[in-house]
Amino acid sequence: MRIADKMNYEQVTSNLGRNRTEMADLQNQAALQKKVTKPSDDPLGATRILGMRTEVNGNNQYMKSISNAKAFLEYSEESLGALSDALVRAKELAINQANDASAGPKTRELVASEVTQLHSQAIQIGNRKLGDRFLFGGYRTQAAPFDQDGNYHGDNGLMEVIIDKEAKLAMNIPGNLVFLGRGLKAPATGNPDPMSLESMPQTEPHLRPVHEHKPQSTPDYELPPTTIRAPASEKPMESSEEITRKQAELERKLSDRGIDVFSVLKGFETALKTNDKPAIQESIDKIDTAIEQVVLARAELGSRVGTLNATSDSLSKGTIDAKTMSSNIEDADTFQLVSDINKAESTLKATLATSGKLIQPSLLDFIR
Amino acid sequence: MSKINAMMDMGKRSLMNSQTALQTVGHNIASKSVEGYSRQRVDQVTNLPIGEGKLRIGMGAKAAAITRVNNPYLEKQIGLEGSHLGYLTGKQDAMTRVESIYNEQVNKGLNQYMSEFFNAFKELSNNPESLATRSLVKETADYVTKDFKRINAQLTGVQNDLDQQIKSHVNEINGLTTEIAGLNEKIQSVELTGASANDERDRRDLLVKKLGDKVNIRWAEGEDSTVTISAGNNALLVAGYDAKELFVQSTSENGTKGEGNFDVMYKSSESATPYKVTDQLHGGAIGGLIEVRDIVINDLKDGVDEMAYSLATEVNDIHSQGFNSYNQTGVDFFQQPEDVKHAAQYLKVNDDILKDASRIAAGESPGASGDNRTANKIAGLQFEKILSDGNANLDEYYNTMVGKVGVIAKKTNNAHDAQDSVVKQLNSIRESVSGVSLDEETTKMIEFQKAFDASARIVKTADEMMDTVLNLKKL
Repeated sequence: MRIADKMNYEQVTSNLGRNRTEMADLQNQAALQKKVTKPSDDPLGATRILGMRTEVNGNNQYMKSISNAKAFLEYSEESLGALSDALVRAKELAINQANDASAGPKTRELVASEVTQLHSQAIQIGNRKLGDRFLFGGYRTQAAPFDQDGNYHGDNGLMEVIIDKEAKLAMNIPGNLVFLGRGLKAPATGNPDPMSLESMPQTEPHLRPVHEHKPQSTPDYELPPTTIRAPASEKPMESSEEITRKQAELERKLSDRGIDVFSVLKGFETALKTNDKPAIQESIDKIDTAIEQVVLARAELGSRVGTLNATSDSLSKGTIDAKTMSSNIEDADTFQLVSDINKAESTLKATLATSGKLIQPSLLDFIR
Repeated sequence: MSKINAMMDMGKRSLMNSQTALQTVGHNIASKSVEGYSRQRVDQVTNLPIGEGKLRIGMGAKAAAITRVNNPYLEKQIGLEGSHLGYLTGKQDAMTRVESIYNEQVNKGLNQYMSEFFNAFKELSNNPESLATRSLVKETADYVTKDFKRINAQLTGVQNDLDQQIKSHVNEINGLTTEIAGLNEKIQSVELTGASANDERDRRDLLVKKLGDKVNIRWAEGEDSTVTISAGNNALLVAGYDAKELFVQSTSENGTKGEGNFDVMYKSSESATPYKVTDQLHGGAIGGLIEVRDIVINDLKDGVDEMAYSLATEVNDIHSQGFNSYNQTGVDFFQQPEDVKHAAQYLKVNDDILKDASRIAAGESPGASGDNRTANKIAGLQFEKILSDGNANLDEYYNTMVGKVGVIAKKTNNAHDAQDSVVKQLNSIRESVSGVSLDEETTKMIEFQKAFDASARIVKTADEMMDTVLNLKKL
């Protein structure tokens, strides 16, 4: 083949150019520690990296939401713990004062003032705040949900927060459920598999108000025996119509199955003040129901915290997975890189050395 | 019958031949680095011998012609492949610019701003009462709108830049065609005398190749040694001694070409109405630039517009049903874009909200500051399939767009590299045929120098012979 001078020069330029480009690319990768520095380096990979990044960003936010919701739930639970302590104390007092052996009008008078205390304590608990938000007001978090008489000024709002792509969880329990016993339900018996994301949406229904549930058909509805037992004040003889009416009444009560904690305490207090022994005895049952109700609510809150913990675990796992995957796609393998750079460098040196030899000699150098 | 004079004359002509050859060697050496130069060589032929009877005495040689060593078919192939390389180079340049707009590997981009925006709504759902969180929502929303604007503006910027490049290419094309027409005239007048216009042809070949790098052309050389060149479908650029100009003009929106971008126009004569050839130019650098400007970038712009429009519309739909801190409802979050087109450019957070973040609605019921349902619903939009007729969510849509840019850029890069080596290879073959080799020229120089020496010796010998003849009488 005929070799013209220009061919040599062009070959040298193009070879050197190629080597230099390779060096520059590797250098860039080494500086950024990334092998994908622009979408065209790996279009599919770049797309997936973006997806992973959204996932990680999202997960970080979910974790924030979870810790926020957890604080709210835990404080709510703690408050209900205090409420149930107060109710237990009331029950003790009621048992104590329900017989004439250990109690009399005087002691009842005395105990009544403690019950007044317990009542206002319960109201205080109902008006507890986390930061500047009332725990038990539903959506109405900026005004005290209960007045001194125990009237509810909040609403049924469930503040659901997004804790994962497809899952929401309510971080509050409206005060009218716990304190006034409207539409409370028992916690689900089986805990959903905490690690599986698919089970998340299933946890939702049990977080919602449950008026649609029929007590008889649901096995979870182990009603406290106290509510089934007929109130002590009921008269033994009734017409059949009366019975049907009572039945309906009972059913209605069962369907919302709740009891107003404040009026229970108030009733107990009045019974003590009026020295009404049967009413005091009746109060024991009612307080029991109230305790049951608060315990149910606490269990509900507890199970939500459990869900949060499980979600949080799976989120951190998801974050690690996503980071690992995007690292696999975009991060440079340092060892590989260094060895590539060495290789490229020796190639460049070789090219330079041979180029020098290739360009130098010409016939002219040998004619004198 | 041989004559001393004839011998002397032959020596003289031989001297001149050697000089011609040496001068051509010099020309080759001097022009060795001229782009498109083909080495030349002197075709020497023997003169008509004279003689009588059985003796025919050779009368030496003469330089018949100086020709260039050149393979026209190879040149044509280089022209074709070079034109494709020009197209890929133009496209690659433009795509590199486009790609950098979507590069989130290193910088923060729309993908991140969007997820921050939706995260802010999740945060608002955690704290629906908080003004600080609302301000966060406002800020992140503002960043999102700014990034939409940035992408749109940068895409438009690249388009405008490509316009300028197209314009300068068109100017260069006009320069080239004018020079080619001039060369047509020169070559024709030179070659009428029977000589070969080597240097002019080299130059013309080179210019035609350069023209082909810029735009898709068809060309042919006629019987009269002139080339006729047309660009696009039938825009005649060079015919005989005449060159017609292309020019650019900013015309109204047409086809895929955006408003205000340049069209390439052609006018067949001074009095003719100019017509548009933009759509016909699909080769050469201009072809690559027009493709990126009119198809790739407009596609991407439509994409961001659709994203911006859907985002604004969907967020507004939900937001306007919510209640803000002042118990107002029906407030839009973004200024509702009127049309999908230009939605990205004009996307803006509602002015009222920009002024006062308390106007951001978090809940669906009035007077309930803890109600976070609206915030939840907006946050949920992040993964709702609201784009491409319900086939993609915002994230997927944008990521697909980035992937698409990456794929086009990568394909162009690969094709460019491959084509580059094809053209290099062809050029190397051309050099092998037409290029100057110093070794070869040096050898020739020695050869002709020796011939020159020897010719001089012949003249000297003839001179001495003449002397001998003249001195015969003195003996």
